[in-house]
Amino acid sequence: MPIVFICSVPFGGGKRLAQSLAAKLGYAFLSREDVVAKANECGIPVGKLEVAMVKKPAVRERLARLQQRYLAVATDTICEKAAEGDLVYYGRAGHFLLPGVSHVLRVRVIPEQTQRLEAAMAQTKLSREKAEVFLSAIDEDIRAWVRFVHGADMDDLKRYDFVVNLENVGLENAATALCGIADLPDFKPTPVSRRAMEELLLQARARIRLALDERTADADLTVRSSDGVVTISYMPRQGSIASAIPEVLHDLPGCRELRCTVASTNILWIQEEFRPDAGALSQINELARRWGAAVELIRYRPEGDGETPASRPESAPRVTAADGGVEDDVVETVSPAESAFRETLEQLVHEGRSGGSQTVAGSPDRLLAAVRPDISYSLVVLGEVFLDKPPAARMRMGRDLGNFLAGRLKSPVIGTAELSAKLRFGAGQVAGIAAALVALVVLYALIFTHQGPLLDLLGGASHRARPWVAPLVVALIAPLVAGLYGLVASALLRLIRLE
Amino acid sequence: MPPVFSEIFVPITWATGILVVLLGFIGGVLSGFIGSGGAFFMTPGMMNLGVSGVVSVGSNITHKFGKALVGARKHAQMGNVDKRLAMYLLATALVGIRLAVWINSLLFAKGDSHGAGKGAASDLYISAIFIGVLTFVAISMLRDALRPATEGQGPSRAITDFLGRFALKPIVKFPVSDVEVSLWVLLPVGLATGYLAGTIGVGGFVGVPAMIYIFGVPTAVAAGTELYLAIFMGAFGAINYAFEGYVDLRLTCLLFLGSLVGVYIGAYGVKVVSERYIRLSTGYIILICVLSRAIAVPVYLGELGWVRFDPVWNLWLNRGSTILLFAAGIGGAGAVLLQVARAHIERQRIQTTLLVRRPAVES
Repeated sequence: MPIVFICSVPFGGGKRLAQSLAAKLGYAFLSREDVVAKANECGIPVGKLEVAMVKKPAVRERLARLQQRYLAVATDTICEKAAEGDLVYYGRAGHFLLPGVSHVLRVRVIPEQTQRLEAAMAQTKLSREKAEVFLSAIDEDIRAWVRFVHGADMDDLKRYDFVVNLENVGLENAATALCGIADLPDFKPTPVSRRAMEELLLQARARIRLALDERTADADLTVRSSDGVVTISYMPRQGSIASAIPEVLHDLPGCRELRCTVASTNILWIQEEFRPDAGALSQINELARRWGAAVELIRYRPEGDGETPASRPESAPRVTAADGGVEDDVVETVSPAESAFRETLEQLVHEGRSGGSQTVAGSPDRLLAAVRPDISYSLVVLGEVFLDKPPAARMRMGRDLGNFLAGRLKSPVIGTAELSAKLRFGAGQVAGIAAALVALVVLYALIFTHQGPLLDLLGGASHRARPWVAPLVVALIAPLVAGLYGLVASALLRLIRLE
Repeated sequence: MPPVFSEIFVPITWATGILVVLLGFIGGVLSGFIGSGGAFFMTPGMMNLGVSGVVSVGSNITHKFGKALVGARKHAQMGNVDKRLAMYLLATALVGIRLAVWINSLLFAKGDSHGAGKGAASDLYISAIFIGVLTFVAISMLRDALRPATEGQGPSRAITDFLGRFALKPIVKFPVSDVEVSLWVLLPVGLATGYLAGTIGVGGFVGVPAMIYIFGVPTAVAAGTELYLAIFMGAFGAINYAFEGYVDLRLTCLLFLGSLVGVYIGAYGVKVVSERYIRLSTGYIILICVLSRAIAVPVYLGELGWVRFDPVWNLWLNRGSTILLFAAGIGGAGAVLLQVARAHIERQRIQTTLLVRRPAVES
């Protein structure tokens, strides 16, 4: 049976609906208060964190670590409770915590406004006017919290499976209707969705352990897990904690392998099929080596027309383990493509550049949702996708996907074809840099062999006669020199591999 | 020597040229390291080499224009530029720059065009603003770096919260930064940023903290937006100073030679050095730069005839100021380079040492 997420705002009747539904279904009930209590036990001052995040956006960078811990505790609490049996969860945006888990029913509750106002007045002892202002402020704060913590708009109805409008439907009737919906086959757990939840739980537990251990508590770590393999990335300046990580996580339940990668930044590589002998791998490896980056792989399998009847077009991403993202109940044997994917990953591991991997199947929205918002990527490399399409369509659809990602991710997105421009000095590039260098030399020679006339133009008698010429000269030459020299300087530094 | 040299511009020998390139390099390294423009080092450095204050500022702001043009693109790619916020700040920043250019030009022209006092009033004014602003910046940085780190504690938000209480309309929303700011707060901040950018070339030292502490903008967005703003402020400042005849393109081009390489190295240093180290080292470097400028102040006072002392002291004070400035710059940039080199070597060593552990699996 699914995990039912009831999402609503305070005083909106959502909690009563969730409790009623849990009673009718015989499910356990968990609310945000339980998550907050657990977080406080783990030393996360949720109240302060909320105030800081909602009211003080400038401290985001410093609070990001606490935010990640809070998310880990929330995920851990929900997954553990769900592992004990069926569950109804009431909160603000709990459904965002389990991306890739398909057996969740996400319900948004729209409150009955008059009742909500009266409930708020009764509980807070405020006048009607003040209660209205109070509710409006709460709603805005919650929106800001969800926007920051989950990077999503809680009012985006595409994120829900059902919307219950209590203006039109009674609370008990809504609960009865939801009982039937929860029983639909769309929301039944599958081995894949269970495994996805296990991965999330594993990842959350790893993060909590690292947060609670004093040796790793202050480190900025990126935690990923896939197929029981936990990958931890840490910054080069935190090299001293590297040996502590395996000690902290040595008996982590469910972890069959632990990989620690030192990385200053991250590169995300998205492609439909990976081959360990492909030129792109060595190019990305080289780029990662220069940048000191970890490379995360996403094997993306775009949705075919009308495939996968059980899929929900706008739902959270199907982030699956290494079985290829299939949604049926049959565990696949390892296909050649899957085998090549694993070999590619192993090669990255061997090079010390692995930043984890995942397989995503579905629409570009799912792919986007699978990209972790808390990880900063210096570059997103989009390889060949839509392989079953004819070459022209493949190119067009690939370009559209690249534009889609570039418009939504805060990272530059390039194709594998453009990678060589980042690395190699082909004939065209050498010619371009040589031309820039020649132009620079000519410019500098002209400036320093004609100092007298130039200075006369910039501040002498000619300037006094025609003062508008100097701004024109300056506005033309300064950006030209900066642009040309910037090109040459960056190329030189690239040559000595200092980027 | 053409008259224009002696009146406004200085002759550039090989030695001067190399020193200006070095200034650019050190300024670039420090700028990449701390994310500011590096003018706090380059402007006084040029003044120490005999360039008048107003030409130092004019040439440096032109250099900043070109550099920002190159750097802002990367920030924009990372989504760290709030263009709407930059445009609001720019409205009054341009007024601030024009005001700064006007004051600087007026003070420069006030000196005796044939005597030693030419430019002394402008130099004194620039030095005084420099000392005042950068002392405050350096002490704030050091205080921030030396205070005990507390989990979850960020920069003080007292000013934001205080101003937020008034909610002076009209309030402007900035979706990229996710903040709302009163127009009456935006305008003076833009004015101050423009004025300081135009006066000493360090608008970022006001603009970035103001965006963080007063508006509540995330740090990365504040830095990216400042760089974006610097394109327009730099262009406007460069055009204004050029119109007044105070831009020496030779100096600008020499600064580029050093700074555009230095800035890459400095930016690389940020990846391998802790934030506390960055704040501490930058704070000390700026303090020494301030001290160096303070040592040069009696020279300008003497040139203006406000104090009298043996002219031989001018030479010693200038030398002392120059040595102190270069010592601070070379020491600071050297420390960054050392860290970069160490990290580079360390990186080569640890690239293949991925830690792989296979703990016992519990089902």
